[in-house]
Amino acid sequence: MSDRRRSLFILLLVFGLIAVSAVVVATKETKLGLDLQGGVQLVYEGKPTPQQPTVDQQALDRALQIMRERVDAFGVAEPELALIGGRQVEVNLPGVEDADRAADQVGSTAQLYFYDWEANVLNEDCRTNDTETDGGTQAIAGLRAAVERASKCTDVPEADSSVVAAAPRFYAFNKISKQPFQGATGLESRQAALDAVPKEDRENAEVLEVPKGVLVVRDEKAAAGKDGKEPPAPDRWWVLLDRPALSGTDLKNPEQNFDQRGGGQPIVTFDFTDKGRKAFQSITRKIAQRGADNSLPGVPADQGSQSFAIVLDDELVSKPVINYQENPDGIDGSTGAQISGGFTIQSAQDLAKILQIGALPIKLELISRSQVSASLGAQALDQGLIAGVVGLGIVALFLIGYYRVLGLVASLALLIYALYFYALVKAVPVVLTLPGIAGLVLTLGVAADANIVIFERVKEEVRAGRGVSTAIVNGYRKGLTAIIDANVVTLLVAFILFILATAGVKGFAFMLGLGVIVSLFTAVLATQAILFSLRGTRLIRGRAGLGSSEQRFNPRKNYMGASKWFFSASGLIMLIGAFAIAGNGLNFGIDFEGGTRITAPLEQKANVDQVRDVVRGAGLTDAEVQTINNPELGRNLVQISSRESGAPVRAATDALDNEFGVAGQPNEESIGPTFGQSVGRSALIAIIASLTVISVYIALRFEWKVAVPVLIALMHDILITGGVYALTGREVTTSTVAALLTILGFSLYDTIIVFDRVRENIPRMPSAAFSQIVNRSMSEVVVRSLATSFCTLLPVLSLYFLGGETLQDFAFALIVGTASGTYSSIFIAAPVLTHWKEREPVYAARERRIKERLGYVPAYATVEQGGPVDVAPAAPRGGRRGGVTTPQDPSQGVSRAEFDDMVANLGIEEAGRREPAAAAARGNRPAGGRRARARGEAPPPPATGPAPADGEGSDAPKPKKPRNRKHGRPR
Amino acid sequence: MGLLVWVMVAIALWHFTVFLPDRWWAGIVGAFAGSVVGSVIFGLIIHTGTIPGQNDTDFLTALESVPGAVLGMAAVWFLGIRTEERERLHHGHA
Repeated sequence: MSDRRRSLFILLLVFGLIAVSAVVVATKETKLGLDLQGGVQLVYEGKPTPQQPTVDQQALDRALQIMRERVDAFGVAEPELALIGGRQVEVNLPGVEDADRAADQVGSTAQLYFYDWEANVLNEDCRTNDTETDGGTQAIAGLRAAVERASKCTDVPEADSSVVAAAPRFYAFNKISKQPFQGATGLESRQAALDAVPKEDRENAEVLEVPKGVLVVRDEKAAAGKDGKEPPAPDRWWVLLDRPALSGTDLKNPEQNFDQRGGGQPIVTFDFTDKGRKAFQSITRKIAQRGADNSLPGVPADQGSQSFAIVLDDELVSKPVINYQENPDGIDGSTGAQISGGFTIQSAQDLAKILQIGALPIKLELISRSQVSASLGAQALDQGLIAGVVGLGIVALFLIGYYRVLGLVASLALLIYALYFYALVKAVPVVLTLPGIAGLVLTLGVAADANIVIFERVKEEVRAGRGVSTAIVNGYRKGLTAIIDANVVTLLVAFILFILATAGVKGFAFMLGLGVIVSLFTAVLATQAILFSLRGTRLIRGRAGLGSSEQRFNPRKNYMGASKWFFSASGLIMLIGAFAIAGNGLNFGIDFEGGTRITAPLEQKANVDQVRDVVRGAGLTDAEVQTINNPELGRNLVQISSRESGAPVRAATDALDNEFGVAGQPNEESIGPTFGQSVGRSALIAIIASLTVISVYIALRFEWKVAVPVLIALMHDILITGGVYALTGREVTTSTVAALLTILGFSLYDTIIVFDRVRENIPRMPSAAFSQIVNRSMSEVVVRSLATSFCTLLPVLSLYFLGGETLQDFAFALIVGTASGTYSSIFIAAPVLTHWKEREPVYAARERRIKERLGYVPAYATVEQGGPVDVAPAAPRGGRRGGVTTPQDPSQGVSRAEFDDMVANLGIEEAGRREPAAAAARGNRPAGGRRARARGEAPPPPATGPAPADGEGSDAPKPKKPRNRKHGRPR
Repeated sequence: MGLLVWVMVAIALWHFTVFLPDRWWAGIVGAFAGSVVGSVIFGLIIHTGTIPGQNDTDFLTALESVPGAVLGMAAVWFLGIRTEERERLHHGHA
């Protein structure tokens, strides 16, 4: 297929896809993530129970199914439930505002058991006393005291037939404050309890073991207040023998009702199954008879009667009394029964639904909870979209300003890219999240980078004297290798992020990966088709129209010579960074450390000290408070951060509401320490995996010696970014890690551009020292490298200034990393490679030879140093390419193929094929060769300025050089 | 965190090796490895096999890395010289 036909075909495809994309964009809705539309996200970790000792896939699937049924029963629109990692379940509930209720609805195990109360309550001697009410004991104040009592009950009857406490449970406490680390329920092993303790508290932690057969249950709540609010859970506990008489599986038809006798309080009524009915009658009869046996003369029956207890997920729900006078033969369960105690209408309805659906097979521990208000979500969406549009605009302006007509075509391709991408997001559909928007904005830079790489090639070709049409063809052909290498690396990083990172970062990775693929189509194929179609038209006939007029900046500098000083500057920056990390540490956010962040608009104005006093008084002793200015989220906005989570946080928000009034629903993000640790671990694995994959790819595409400087440069970027974070005290979040990994990709983009040119120049400079090859390569690509970095920085800056708080964090790491990446590609990776390669015998020999002739090694190869300065490379002779930066025979200064090419290029075939090219060059033979001279062409004038006469890089326009027959290159 | 600080100081010091003649074993990359490995081993020795945690690092942690990095690079330097001499002898005999 001819070029023109191919271009026409691609253009038709492009226009067809534009039409399809427009239809998709117009007709399909965008699926927004929780962070953009508001809602609650809950992450649970499956824990074994005595009934289900291992958390296997089957148990997780069953749990997920039950949770889904619960969510459906509660009527949440478009909920998302997914298994993540090995044992975690992520629940996204868009539009839900009450995170507490959502957590109770979805994740409560709902294991319901009925106990003969007096026969099972253990006193301080670990004995039961069924002759007295409540076993002659009282509820114990504080979980630590209750667990301590329970831990002594090692010899209890029927422990082996225990159901709920069929295995020992472990509780971790702070020795000083006596506060638990793991919440109200114990954990399955000592190690699990220790894992729940934050590292900094390990020294003050103690683990207590409650033996099997013994339960620690929370006392029942008080009745709901007149305001309809559920009372807080009491810090009073009972120690109980685990000998249940009935379980939740023995009931049916649970529903919320009102207690007709008890003042119309909300209750849950239910029927029994046949088995349950018999068991219920039996246990109530036993309790009634015992009450009658132990009754004292003169004591009313309702005071002397005993109770049975209803325990739901280790909490005493109610403890109804069985009046032995009214029910001497127990209660017939045929009319059902009821659960009462501290319910609101809502909580009673919820319990009824949960009991109806059934208990979860495993225990689910809430390890992360975040709640985003709808207004914050809408604001984040607006900010993200504005940042995207502005990013697109400034990238387009830069491209048009710098590349004129070429830039116009690239900008058009960017618009097409944005349309395709948006259509894909709607069509798949991809849930659009805030990190996803960041990925989208960033890919604008990636798409523009590909065009810059090609356009700089085109400019080079034009400056070398090619016609515009040929320059465009050559530009695309030569630029493609570097673009593919760089994009494959970015794609690999995105893939690793997607596989290993947490949910928010996954969205970013998906967008980045998708963007890279789409951008390859629009930035390479579409622009190529447009430009090929424009060949020969007035639009791209002139050099000025392509922005390829003379360069004002002379890029021919001694990069390798200056690298010592840049190296030292890097060392100094890194040393400062290291001391900053050692002294200040890194400010890890709650994503890694665990904890809670609440953002609440207050109805009454309050200063930081007042808010701090209130929340600290409510239990958040380590609370840090700051005020935030964001009118869209409300007035008097405060942000409270604490390492605590769970009950103290709820108490603090209640206290805040009582004291100052909270307008609407506060935003809340709560991460458990285990979730934080898993986030940190996955981030570390992602970084190591990325570095490994990148190294392997570079080693395969270039050679293994190239992979080492690349790795060193990447380490340099990561460490410098870490140092800047330590110096500025900015919070390190999961977004920072995602940005760091992206930096790896971008840093490589620049490095690959440089090394790709080194790879290309090695066979062209068969007599040059390695530093000269690198200097020349750098001078050829430095503008391109700077332009791609600048183009990446433009949308990132847009994110930083317009993207809102979350995207700002992300953009900050990217700004530091992009700057560091550009710097390290030029001044770290290339010099390390140079130092290392110069030790190889072939390059060491060349350097020795040059020094013998000139006494020093010039920055750029010269004719005076001997040997040809620039020859056309030999065409690959089939088969696999060898090491890309190694001559074919390292023992020779010049390989056979290179020598033949030199001879051909210098036009000395007739003079004697045995004469080495170096010898030919020593004779001060005029450039152009015999054939050229025979054709009467004038030799090119000597280059002006400081540049040596190697025929390249000069600012002065050059006369057209004679062409090499084989390659069409200037000799 | 201690490990990060040690490695960072080691790499920072390695940057200044460009001012020395390249007689390292395995070149500048050998010096890099020597610096990093030296600082980590030295840090582990003076902390009796443990690595300072996130809240246990201070300026001293960064300074602790310096002797290890210097010793590590020195070891690579002498290894390089020895290898050079051995090669020279080998070529001389040949």
